Amino acid sequence: MKVTLYAVRLQERWELWISLDLQVDMLWWSGAGAGVGNSIIAEQLVVLSPSLPLGWAVKLRDSWKQAVAMESWSSLHWRSYAAAALKAELKQEQRGGGTLEWLPLQAVRRYERRGNGWAVNETQPCEITNVSEVAVETVAGPGAAWLAGLDEAARQLAAALEGRSLLQPEVEALIEERLPGLAGQWQAAAQLAQLQGRLVLTAALACGERAAPLRLPWRGASSRRALPRCLRCGSAATGAAACAACGLAGCAYCEACLALGRSRSCALLVRSAPRPAVRCTAGDGTAAGLQRRWGLGAAQAAAAAAALGVLAERRGRSADSRPERFLLWAVTGAGKTEITFPLLEAALAAGGRALVATPRRDVVLELAPRIARAFPAANLAVLYGGSPGRWDRADITLATTHQLLRFHQGFDLVIIDELDAFPFHNDPMLAFAAEQACKPGGSFIYLSATPPSDMQRQTAAGRLRHAKVPVRFHGHPLPLPTRLRAEAVHHMLKRGRLPKALLQELKHSMERSAQIFLFVSRIVHIDPLLNLLRRQLPGAVIEGTSSKDPLRAEKVAAFRERRITLLITTTILERGVTVARSDVFILDADSSLFDEAALVQMAGRAGRSKEDPAGRVFMVSPEQNRAQRRAVAQIRAMNDAARKQGYLQKEKR
Amino acid sequence: MRVEWSNWLSAAKMLLAPAHPVCLFCGKAHAPSAQTPGICLACESAIPWIKAPRCRTCGRPVGCPDCSRSRQPGPLLYNRSAVSYTSEMREILGQYKYRGNERLAQVLGLMLDRAYNAMQEAMENGSVSRWSYTANQNAVLEADSGLIMGAASPHKIWSSLLPRKRTDRWQADLLVPVPVSSTRLAERGFNQAGQLAAVLAARRGILQLPLLVRTQHTAKQSFKSRAERLADMKHAFAASTDSALQGQFASLLRNSLDSGRPLRIVIVDDIYTTGSTLRACAEALIRQPGGSLEGKVEICSLTWARS
Repeated sequence: MKVTLYAVRLQERWELWISLDLQVDMLWWSGAGAGVGNSIIAEQLVVLSPSLPLGWAVKLRDSWKQAVAMESWSSLHWRSYAAAALKAELKQEQRGGGTLEWLPLQAVRRYERRGNGWAVNETQPCEITNVSEVAVETVAGPGAAWLAGLDEAARQLAAALEGRSLLQPEVEALIEERLPGLAGQWQAAAQLAQLQGRLVLTAALACGERAAPLRLPWRGASSRRALPRCLRCGSAATGAAACAACGLAGCAYCEACLALGRSRSCALLVRSAPRPAVRCTAGDGTAAGLQRRWGLGAAQAAAAAAALGVLAERRGRSADSRPERFLLWAVTGAGKTEITFPLLEAALAAGGRALVATPRRDVVLELAPRIARAFPAANLAVLYGGSPGRWDRADITLATTHQLLRFHQGFDLVIIDELDAFPFHNDPMLAFAAEQACKPGGSFIYLSATPPSDMQRQTAAGRLRHAKVPVRFHGHPLPLPTRLRAEAVHHMLKRGRLPKALLQELKHSMERSAQIFLFVSRIVHIDPLLNLLRRQLPGAVIEGTSSKDPLRAEKVAAFRERRITLLITTTILERGVTVARSDVFILDADSSLFDEAALVQMAGRAGRSKEDPAGRVFMVSPEQNRAQRRAVAQIRAMNDAARKQGYLQKEKR
Repeated sequence: MRVEWSNWLSAAKMLLAPAHPVCLFCGKAHAPSAQTPGICLACESAIPWIKAPRCRTCGRPVGCPDCSRSRQPGPLLYNRSAVSYTSEMREILGQYKYRGNERLAQVLGLMLDRAYNAMQEAMENGSVSRWSYTANQNAVLEADSGLIMGAASPHKIWSSLLPRKRTDRWQADLLVPVPVSSTRLAERGFNQAGQLAAVLAARRGILQLPLLVRTQHTAKQSFKSRAERLADMKHAFAASTDSALQGQFASLLRNSLDSGRPLRIVIVDDIYTTGSTLRACAEALIRQPGGSLEGKVEICSLTWARS
């Protein structure tokens, strides 16, 4: 879009503003603003351009530097100031063949304040004329009453947008749903809210940092550094195309977050002004209290108490302090969700807003009823791609990580569940979005059974505060994987026979009537292996599923209901599926597709229930690689920690 | 310490293997297609090309009740489309049009270019029923479009060096993209038909002129029934009143009529559903401010998809 850009003189200083509706600004600075929160009256107002591409206007505003004697600047002065500030952009536009007349001199308009109104001054300051002798035309427009009426709309709009970061079409959708009365005049209301400091209006892309001071070859990271950045997702905006909305030949856009509406350099991004975070304090934050109140186990309660301690700390007041980070490292089957309940309660009790984000939509849908049951009085919003109720205000927001792009410093407490799971893992965009969603003084809690290695290093070095829950809720140790030396799957398939040792263990598992997860590394192995197993294990109900299987949900449900004995699958079932009595076989465990975290998660499918806490886990492979060794070491370390802290049932009794 | 040779080997293989570009359709780095740069071989082979249109009028790959049912003669002679509008293609078009992944413009434009081949063949084989000017038809020896293009484009020079180039092929004289309303243009930032036509224009050396404007902002076509679309479209378009454009068009028309044949105009759009949009555009083109062009032009249409 295009916006108005103007400079305004307030006593001794000049400010540069962008405007969606200049009438609002004229009233605001003329003295009529007194009723709606402005005590400063301006003397002079220079409209540099009534329609400048938003990206350029924002760059001029954000790079604004006051010079001496600006009150006597002519149109030409203003233009050359703007040309200097936009040097890089103008050059690029010229190279792209742009033909936009970007700041026409005749469009620069100078206004002088006359009482409560404005008069156009047609002369240039350098021509020495007495202003009073020039025919000045008073600008007519709506009056102070209109502005006062707009105040309520601005307040409502700012409240509805609190903590959000929305592009123009999203703002319009929100208004249509929540503030239908504002439909025609939201731009005026947004403009007033901007002047009042309630909203921040900006372009969706921010201009790139300056290029590296050294003259490095103009490629790779240094060229990306000069690209504009997407304010929503933090990526470098790699796309550029001619744009009919702003008239530029090279209007940049972000290709990383296209799925959530296009963020481009002339797209309006509306954010609420940041609010300070509240301190989340709980009534009884001791471990014993938590055990009673929430029915937590001793290990769960200790971790929750440690996290609550972090939440309740007083933070530095400075606006740019980063949120406090805390890692809850809880083994598979520890009951992570229950640990978060006391934290959510603490945030709600302090009047704060909490967010639970998880990478996967099915986890969101599974968590929603549990949280709703734990907090019947709280307002819960459930957000995922295409979910209803996108614009409702809520105390607890439960969302997939992609939805976080639509928030900005909106939450006092952010809990990221399964941060190591796809697609959050290795996606800097989602990590950026998650951090953006948290208020600067807020708290950021990661939940994971298998934190990524850099985070593990940080905890070991003491740079990331954390609490470990080394034991499952039933108080039994995690099953340690047994190594089973056998040939690779493609050899088994070629020979048409399963190794004897593997077959024996599978039969043993079936004899103890356990259900079997059989993990393979490649989807193409599933079908041939299915035939082989059906031949070698007659009588058992065997199925295979993968991400490409349309019947996946049905098969998983059948497996849960014990209608399938053995399920061949890939890492898609490494988390989330809990079966009471189960054994785990990981074929080709030395595959590079199984990293340490995947192995720990797959091993974590066994022994989940109180009735059968000692499930069996086998890593079947010709070689043992580092990931396998580290996975076993991690599981063993957790069991040792649990034993040392006295959380294991055996030792307690 | 145990050296893990398999890791070393795979790392070395990675160094030696060619780096595949990321496919614009599936987002994966797979072996690229040579015919349609920008997408991978797997995606290219999955494209539902319309290889043999069964309806000779509208280019539909299946029997077409619309054309046989109510074929009152109109200014639009026939249509050709590149692909069937399957759900996969709908997804691709959505990526481009609604989400704004403009990198797809080039790929879709190249796909449209293939449909242009089909159009040429249809014209040369005379399989298309003509609406008028049959008298002129035989007299027309494909002079070429060089006359109209003025200076030959670099592309034309290059392609003229290629041995299999047939200079006597049927060639359109003018591409006209279907316009979008100014509201939609501001919202979306681009006109998809214009971008597709631009790719075709650059590849074939045909002139593109935005001769049409949208006079009313109609709601999105994809939410409407067939009858609603037909009624809605009647007066949605008009000829542009831009004098420079008009001048260019007039001289094109004169040149063509001087050489003894009607001006061949191809209207370009992303999708043909009922054809009402394209028929309305053709009617608007005929109704020029300077008088009706009936008999002086030959209008057909080319779209990326046919539903």
